[in-house]
Amino acid sequence: MVTLVHLKKMTWTMEEGLITKWLKNEGETAVEGEGICEVETEKTTDEVEAPASGTVLRIVYKEGTSVPVNAVIAVIGSPDEDISFIPELSKPTLPVATPLPTQKAEPVHGPVPVPEPSTKQIGISPSARRLAREHGVAITKIRGTGPGGRIVADDILRAAEKLEAGPPAGEYKATFLAGHRKVIADRLSLSARTAVHVPITMEVDMTSSCKLKTEKEKAGHQISHNDIIIKATAMALEEFPQVNAMLIGQELRTMQEVNVGVAVGSGDNLLVPVIRNANRLSLTEISQSAKNLIERARNQMLTTKEMSRGTFTVSNLGMYDVDLFAPVINPPETAILGVGRIALKPIVQEDSITIRQMMTLTLVFDHRVIDGVLGAKFLQRIKQHLEAPEKLAA
Amino acid sequence: MSETRELDFAEAIREAIRQEMARDQTVFVLGEDVGKFGGIFGCTKGLQEEFGESRVRDTPISEAAIVGTAVGAAITGMHPIAEIEFMDFIGCAMDQVFNQMAKIRYMFGGSMKVPVVLRTPCGSRYPVASGAAQHSQSLEAWFMHVPGLKIATPATPYDAKGLLINAIRGEDPVLFVEHKLLYYARRIARLRESYPALIGKVPEESYVIPFGKAEIKRPGEDITVVATMMMVHKSLRVAEELSTKGIEMEIIDPRTLVPLDKQTIIESVKKTGRVAVVSEDTKTAGVAAEIAAIVMEEAFDYLDAPVKRVSALDLPIPYAPVLESTVVPQERHITEAVLEALGEKQ
Amino acid sequence: MELGRQELLLMYRNMLRIRRFEEKLAEEWAQGNIPGLIHLYVGQEAVAVGACSTLRRDDYVTSTHRGHGHCIAKGGDIRKMMAELYAKETGYCKGRGGSMHIAAPDIGIVGCSGIAGAGIPIAVGVGLSINLRKTDQVCVSFFGDGSSNTGAFHEGMNMAALWQLPIVYVLENNLYAISVPVSKATRLTNIADRSAAYGMSHAVADGMDVLSVYEAVSNAVARARRGEGPTLVECKTYRFRGHFEGDPKKGETYRTKQEMDEWEKRDPILGLRGKLIKERKATEAELDPINQEVAQEIDNAVVYAKQSPAPKPEHVASYVFVS
Repeated sequence: MVTLVHLKKMTWTMEEGLITKWLKNEGETAVEGEGICEVETEKTTDEVEAPASGTVLRIVYKEGTSVPVNAVIAVIGSPDEDISFIPELSKPTLPVATPLPTQKAEPVHGPVPVPEPSTKQIGISPSARRLAREHGVAITKIRGTGPGGRIVADDILRAAEKLEAGPPAGEYKATFLAGHRKVIADRLSLSARTAVHVPITMEVDMTSSCKLKTEKEKAGHQISHNDIIIKATAMALEEFPQVNAMLIGQELRTMQEVNVGVAVGSGDNLLVPVIRNANRLSLTEISQSAKNLIERARNQMLTTKEMSRGTFTVSNLGMYDVDLFAPVINPPETAILGVGRIALKPIVQEDSITIRQMMTLTLVFDHRVIDGVLGAKFLQRIKQHLEAPEKLAA
Repeated sequence: MSETRELDFAEAIREAIRQEMARDQTVFVLGEDVGKFGGIFGCTKGLQEEFGESRVRDTPISEAAIVGTAVGAAITGMHPIAEIEFMDFIGCAMDQVFNQMAKIRYMFGGSMKVPVVLRTPCGSRYPVASGAAQHSQSLEAWFMHVPGLKIATPATPYDAKGLLINAIRGEDPVLFVEHKLLYYARRIARLRESYPALIGKVPEESYVIPFGKAEIKRPGEDITVVATMMMVHKSLRVAEELSTKGIEMEIIDPRTLVPLDKQTIIESVKKTGRVAVVSEDTKTAGVAAEIAAIVMEEAFDYLDAPVKRVSALDLPIPYAPVLESTVVPQERHITEAVLEALGEKQ
Repeated sequence: MELGRQELLLMYRNMLRIRRFEEKLAEEWAQGNIPGLIHLYVGQEAVAVGACSTLRRDDYVTSTHRGHGHCIAKGGDIRKMMAELYAKETGYCKGRGGSMHIAAPDIGIVGCSGIAGAGIPIAVGVGLSINLRKTDQVCVSFFGDGSSNTGAFHEGMNMAALWQLPIVYVLENNLYAISVPVSKATRLTNIADRSAAYGMSHAVADGMDVLSVYEAVSNAVARARRGEGPTLVECKTYRFRGHFEGDPKKGETYRTKQEMDEWEKRDPILGLRGKLIKERKATEAELDPINQEVAQEIDNAVVYAKQSPAPKPEHVASYVFVS
């Protein structure tokens, strides 16, 4: 009887394993439970065991091959047994891992900065690019049939046909998702599909921070609550570098700079200007920087540079009366902070009820790379900074 | 509608000159062997008998003076048709061509005009005869680069007559380039059979073809092929072959390089998304390079593949036929380029 | 300038070699075996042989589209010349140059050009080089009546005279530039008169008499070697065939049969043969074998050329630059 040997999933995040060494050759016998090959994953090296005793009839992939989880890597059975009927043995093809597109916005001359996904890695003809714009087709999803895998016009037109099939019923007014809106749509749906979003919330007593704001204003520095939150976040990111990380494909990059993006609504668009090295700026400097960037964002004057290299995003809907919300992580970042409104609320301190300025923070993190405890500790640190803001003011 | 009969390239040219000389007394012809011999390729045959030695005159081997003479006559009321016997000899006349003929009108603030028609044969005669390095060149790109010169490059007898009459009647200096292989159609059956458009219907009466108006010699959906002179005929042959494989080439003959009909070319590119430019001159800084740059500039968003250039290798034309056919573009080079542009395997 | 018997016999042989070479080429061309156009020297042999007999191996020659005669007279290898005409790799120019562009630098043939008059300024450069290198070499520059009307002629002659260069300009006046007769190209009867305009000496020779050419050119060569500057030697001659092979009726469309017949009576080879016999310097029995040897030599060359390999297309781009 023939037994197929599958590459089993060895770690929670494992998608594929690298066969580093075959411990058995074709024709040799193996005992059930005996290791027949060594496999390396991003986290561990382990052995694949023979699921049954018998002769190794076929080794499907040679050493040095990366193989997806569940692929058939060997066949065990009686010697001379017929294995020709096994479908998995006929020319298995390995899927190609496509890297996440790196964010690269184009230089801005004119009203709206339109960051397009970089197509450096994807060959695409100018005609195809134009058609993709006109039909709202995402280039990153297209497989090119031109020379060298270049995406050509036909590829876009075929994809557009599929998109445009199936008309919705009833009268409607249509605008195509194009330009910036399209980019936002694509990126957020990519984030939603690939990242494992886990939200955790905390209530934060902002009373001390509010006092700090008032004091600063008396001293002539206009700072906002958001500036304080950004500073607190930046300091926490410095302390928790695993949250200041970017996931590019399978590569988790812990970034050296703490660059906090601030989500800003500008007309129909969502822009995220970035405050660079926020951990090294004083509260006043953060305030100035944020003011400048937000104004430029509202006037649609942001440059690509001002929107690039963010490592973490803060999104604040408090001014719109939102108490609490879980924003979508801004890929390739690995977490995002959603800020609700500050309102006077009764809370229990010691044994009595008192009225404090309360705010709810929601940290949404990517559970592929950040675990609950880490996320919680990180959010806790932000809360601590906000509730005792002396360090922030320094 | 008058009678049309079939003329070959040289006959069409001769008819154009003859009709204009009959119409306008200020038109005269000068060049080496144009008179008694009737032109080294027969383009002025019989004209000296008809119009006399004064108006159809043989000159010494003096290219600079031939062009200079034409310029001098043109700026004082005449309409000379000067011939440079082989385009390869134009170097001997260069100053008169690019510094005098091309620039006089502009330099003198438009107060003078230089209605010279400078006719000259270019190109390789493979496989009929080997002209080697100094008798086979296509140098029109040099002159595209000189502001002030118009350039006509007819491919068919019909175009030749209409463009030449226009050139003679026009008031601007025209370099009228004639690919010499086009003259041989009547004499060489093999040429006639391979390239039937070398002989064609030409109206008896005078007519004019405007400069700056390309002609779509063959419509098609799949690729725009811009070709000049002999390359038009080679492209037509390739088109027939590829049509059987379901590939339809659209062949555009610019007919004049200066002024160039960009619009027709761009419209075609917008339709097909792919372009091959086929020109017999050498590749570097050649005619195809200029047209490719224009296409890139004005039809960038419509290109589905890079513009392909089919041009001669950057080499002097070798004497040995086996080498010449490697250097000068042949049908197989055009086919290769078209298939590559379409992303097809061969 | 008394020439010995051996030298005269050599002149006879060389003129015959040119004649047979050219006639053989005409035959081969008519059969379609020669890919390019050829311009044959038949009738003008006395000029090439008369002039080149005065030269050393290390003297230079510039030549023209009608250059086979010059190359053979200067000592060119007949087989390599034939192979070049057949477009073979074993030719002087490895099949790349062809009839109009033969060069053999090791025997001083620094190139034939298809552009009328191009050799004239080039000869100036050769002469200048000789002077700068301080040798007593000489350059003979052949060209035709047609070329004497080019701008290059004027500039070259002027500079050669100005710098007193060791050049002998041999002007082969065969009365026609393709179809254009000399009478329609210049007012002069003796084009050599132009030399005065440049401060240069000249001579006029009978181009159908090899000894006349020899005398005029050897005087000029001697002057040049002595550092007395260039000379323009005009040789009155005639081509018996058309400008090119394929020229209808061998050029009779622009020449008269009468004129052609008159000149053919002055065939230089027959002329020398007659003179040798008359002056008892050779007998028919001594001259006939030369004819046969020459015929054999040419036939062998054709065989060599036909058997030689063609150039390889993959090497088409060789020889553009040195590096």
